[in-house]
Amino acid sequence: MESPGGVSPLDEAREELLREASLSADASGRERAHEESGPMRSLLVFSLGAEGFAVDLMHVRRVLRPERIARVRGAGPEVLGLMNSQGEVLCVLDLPRILGAGSGKTSTAGMEGKFIVVIQSGGKEAGFLVDAVRDVMELAASSVHPVLDSVDPSRARMFEGTVACGGQFVGLLSPSSCLNP
Amino acid sequence: MRRAVRRPAVAVVVPEPVTTGSVDLLVVDDGTALRGYDCRDVVRVEEVAGETGGYIVRLGRLGPPREVACREILASVALTAREIRPVPPALRDRIEGEKPWAVGIIERGICLLY
Repeated sequence: MESPGGVSPLDEAREELLREASLSADASGRERAHEESGPMRSLLVFSLGAEGFAVDLMHVRRVLRPERIARVRGAGPEVLGLMNSQGEVLCVLDLPRILGAGSGKTSTAGMEGKFIVVIQSGGKEAGFLVDAVRDVMELAASSVHPVLDSVDPSRARMFEGTVACGGQFVGLLSPSSCLNP
Repeated sequence: MRRAVRRPAVAVVVPEPVTTGSVDLLVVDDGTALRGYDCRDVVRVEEVAGETGGYIVRLGRLGPPREVACREILASVALTAREIRPVPPALRDRIEGEKPWAVGIIERGICLLY
């Protein structure tokens, strides 16, 4: 039996069921999205050679092109020197050296195309010479995984954790550990 | 009998406190970096004979006597407070031995003040 409008009661019932199913799917999707998101973090991703690293944008003060870096006698091997950044004196540090990855001093001669990422934490500030700035990514705080077991313990203290970025695991740097000798 | 206090006809301008002083520095090249020493502390400068050459700057008019070897005497420059910056803490913690008291910005670049 059909209603005057040509829609059978069976069709009406089916439509009603589909509407309810769709509403319930929407609701569960929203719940899932809320669970997954949580607090978000913004990270600056950069590279040193083939390796990728990230740092929380909260600690990044600016990104500069390197200019003339004045060397400092008596400074540790991880100090590349001082740079005049618009009247402010900036200490530039060698990140591979701090991470224990490089034994040879990074040359400040061929700096074309490189960047200096200025990081601030606990009242200290320094610039880190990096090869390239790749991306700014936003991810859920829950997406930060612990530091990989394979990382040397002395190096592991320089990281807050590990994050996946562009099909690669990158180390999330701990700004306070990198700034303090 | 009290007299009424009258305002001066011309406004008295009190200047803003500013640092007008400067420090004269002897800038030397130690072979790695530029160093600046307070000219008032310099006792004398001696040229080193021989192949290595260079200079010995003898200091001690203001503080304890000491001497510094350098490759070249570059200039004597007057730095104002605007051209003197504190040593960045990230660097201060990483310097062994004699620590500079400030950083000077000069035409040739950055020099550490001792």
